Amino acid sequence: MLLRTEKLTKSFGGLIAVKSVDLKVNQGEILGIIGPNGAGKTTLTNLISGVFYPTEGRIHFEDKDITFVPAHLRARMGIARTFQLVRPLRDFTAFENVVVSCLFARGESLREARKSARKICELVELDQPERRLDRLTVFELKKLEVARALGCQPKLLILDEVMAGLNFEEMQRMIQLVKSLREKQITICVIEHVMSVISQLTDRVVVLDRGEIIAEGPYERVAHDPKVITAYLGEEA
Amino acid sequence: MKYFMIAIVCVLCFLLPFFVGAYLIHVLTSIMIFLSLALSWDMMLRTGQLSFGIAGFFGLGAYASIIAVDDFSIDPLWSILVAAGFAALIALALGWIVLRLREIYFAITTLALSSVFMIFARNLSDLTGGSAGEVLYESIFKGDSIKIYWLVLSVALTVILVSELFQRTRIRFAINAIRDDEIAAKCSGVNIFKYLLFVFVLTSAIQGAVGALYAQQYAFVEPESTFSANFLLLPMSMALVGGIYSTLGPIIGAVVLGLASEYLKLIMPYGHLIIYGLILVLTIMFLPRGIYGTVVNRIAAKR
Repeated sequence: MLLRTEKLTKSFGGLIAVKSVDLKVNQGEILGIIGPNGAGKTTLTNLISGVFYPTEGRIHFEDKDITFVPAHLRARMGIARTFQLVRPLRDFTAFENVVVSCLFARGESLREARKSARKICELVELDQPERRLDRLTVFELKKLEVARALGCQPKLLILDEVMAGLNFEEMQRMIQLVKSLREKQITICVIEHVMSVISQLTDRVVVLDRGEIIAEGPYERVAHDPKVITAYLGEEA
Repeated sequence: MKYFMIAIVCVLCFLLPFFVGAYLIHVLTSIMIFLSLALSWDMMLRTGQLSFGIAGFFGLGAYASIIAVDDFSIDPLWSILVAAGFAALIALALGWIVLRLREIYFAITTLALSSVFMIFARNLSDLTGGSAGEVLYESIFKGDSIKIYWLVLSVALTVILVSELFQRTRIRFAINAIRDDEIAAKCSGVNIFKYLLFVFVLTSAIQGAVGALYAQQYAFVEPESTFSANFLLLPMSMALVGGIYSTLGPIIGAVVLGLASEYLKLIMPYGHLIIYGLILVLTIMFLPRGIYGTVVNRIAAKR
């Protein structure tokens, strides 16, 4: 098992965003994390990547307890994530954004990092990476998020809604990219609202609702689970 | 070719005292003091942290240098290193605490630190001479203004070199990332606190060394004038007018404003600060990225 959370809980004042979550991510799988808006998916991502620490519970990565390990060290251990609302570094070119994570997460020299970043840009098919960021489309910004995460040389890659805002054709290309990453032995968590993407990509799905896991299993089974349908559509009157 | 030009300019700067008069040498020495402060302030700003504490570390260095010479019989030249080291140590201890603050909270706290330093200087009378200040007994190079010019020039060139190293190494990637987006930076493996502390300590050491040079030049420290807000406001204005986030910007700003203020002082001894303020206001209104930043943007836009 690559990642395991134990009774993971995060509350913001009175609001419990993530409640006693026991999440398991197996080596080499693509895990889908779904749930209605406000279910706690992004909070869970933030907890795993170390953007903030949990109120209660533990996080284990490769059998090490990383609950209170700072975010930059987690990036160096191989936990990488993208941001749902893209957070590119605006003063850099697209290429330099990728150089940053190669430099600091991999600990490469400037020369090595430039070389690695160039390869990553080719891999995600980011054309003309020397462009300034205000000239990038949504699709390119999403690819840049993935590229910068790949700069961390991740063992676990958390993709927080990378499909949002993409058209059908772009989505297909992104799906191909994610599949190619799995072949590179990267374990992937996909947080997504687009169900067709989840059904095409994932081996297993975890459903969150109001901070708790309410179902898990293969997509086909979970999609027909009455609890899941209720969570998305509400109770029948 | 570029490096050759830079080398020639450096040599010319060193040979200048043989061609120009004492007055201009004095003006240039003062400009380079402020140039170093402006660059050190800008280096911290590149991490996104607006420090108002530079006059404080400048004053600490000035006092440390004079006390080192007067009370501990340290050679005046070495006292500059002592001052830099002392400022760095204080910055290390305080940075540990204040670098957890951000934006306006960091700015206000560093401003308060300056005042605290001044209160210490005024009240530790046995060591600092209290509010009367302290006179330097053995002045550096026996007050030879040309040798002082060479020394200040060497320090200024070192600061310029450090600033360029910031721009050309991984440090640039770290501090620009921190300025742009701390969450994205730390998720990309950047140790934010380590870099902030490093830059804060290094720039404070520069300010301390420059304070020592200033004190050695004038052979006198006194709380009000040594911790004067001028040593914060003038360097900030120079960096803003010249162009922040670059090495060349603060240099241009220091030369332009430094020469302008000298000239204005001559033609209107009482009103020159009004014109000086006007230049600052107009630059911020019409060239928000400063002289250098505007030029760079124009060139980038043409491409």
